[in-house]
Amino acid sequence: MSDITSPRVNSARLADHVGRHVRLAGKVLKVAGDAAIVEASDGGNVEVKILGSQAATIKDQYVEIVGQVTEPGVVKMLNCINLGDKLDMAIVDFVVEKWHSPQFSSMF
Amino acid sequence: MSQFSQNPYYKGGGGGGGFMAGDSPFGSNSGTPGSGHKRNNSPSVRPVTIKQILTATQVHSEADWVIDNAEVGTVTVVAQVISIQKQATNIVYNLDDGTGRLEARHWVDPSAMEEDEEEPVTEGVVIYMMGNIKAFSNKRYINTSQKRVSKDPHEIYFHLLNAMTTKLQLERGPPNGSGVPTVSSSTKTERGDASAYTAQATISTNNQWASLPAFHQQVLNAILSHPASELGVDVGAIAKIVGGQAAHLSATLDSLLDGGHIYTTVDESHFAVSQ
Repeated sequence: MSDITSPRVNSARLADHVGRHVRLAGKVLKVAGDAAIVEASDGGNVEVKILGSQAATIKDQYVEIVGQVTEPGVVKMLNCINLGDKLDMAIVDFVVEKWHSPQFSSMF
Repeated sequence: MSQFSQNPYYKGGGGGGGFMAGDSPFGSNSGTPGSGHKRNNSPSVRPVTIKQILTATQVHSEADWVIDNAEVGTVTVVAQVISIQKQATNIVYNLDDGTGRLEARHWVDPSAMEEDEEEPVTEGVVIYMMGNIKAFSNKRYINTSQKRVSKDPHEIYFHLLNAMTTKLQLERGPPNGSGVPTVSSSTKTERGDASAYTAQATISTNNQWASLPAFHQQVLNAILSHPASELGVDVGAIAKIVGGQAAHLSATLDSLLDGGHIYTTVDESHFAVSQ
């Protein structure tokens, strides 16, 4: 339990969080075997590594992947929250950027 | 015996004394002289992140919690349920909203079976909950009063934006610049001329009252424009400013009282604006 926070990120911000836990919301483009491709809120594609048994937890078109960043662009999934088939990614990306703004450092 | 019934103190005693200090949303702040600088301008229910709860401060163990220099009563949180522990008298939800982790304790009413819930809270789902911050031996938790499964995923983001907006409003005051103080100073000078005053009041109306009828807003501005607005303005003084029929004014004041826009101060005929 080094850190119990999991900041919300987009694909560009993964590089700042290597080794840490993050929450990545995006659109599932492909699920194949032990990997999935998710389009993050900023439009970039992220590879999500999944353990075989976890693949079934990805059900909806939009999901929030809770996972650990292994390298920029790659997240190892720990948990998946299904966010339905309709999600405004512009709002998500706005929140992600505000999350990392120093203006709100006391809340995120 | 008649001696006792004439004593006003004994009369009220039979009822068991329903008033409890600190229970009133206004009493705790306005009743204490000297704490006037820390007036509670925040809405009584505040959307927050878990990190804000974990970093909230408290002057002493009975005091209100303070986040961003504003006292908080009830808070709302939208977070993922990590684990659930059911106990005999309460259910403990371990919550994670990405900013931290926190326990929420929901006390179960043994007489009411909670089987009528639309959707049961299970591990992994996102829930919306409302409650009060508590601390027990250095461990913080929320005493939950309301909870439900959050179905629309936008609610997560709405809540975060709502929490950010609330924080900014506390730092900078309400949007559109002209806050309440400028309203009162500009309207005060116009008091001599009734028609000019009315026009002024309508223009400078604080937008939080925009949904109220014009006369309601006029009464609120009249109270604010009075020099004694902090201590409460006598109903007679309000009547002098706004004019009109006494019955209409008293009905308006009752309606404002019911809506929580004003409250009585030293006695039943002195009013101050809640803000």
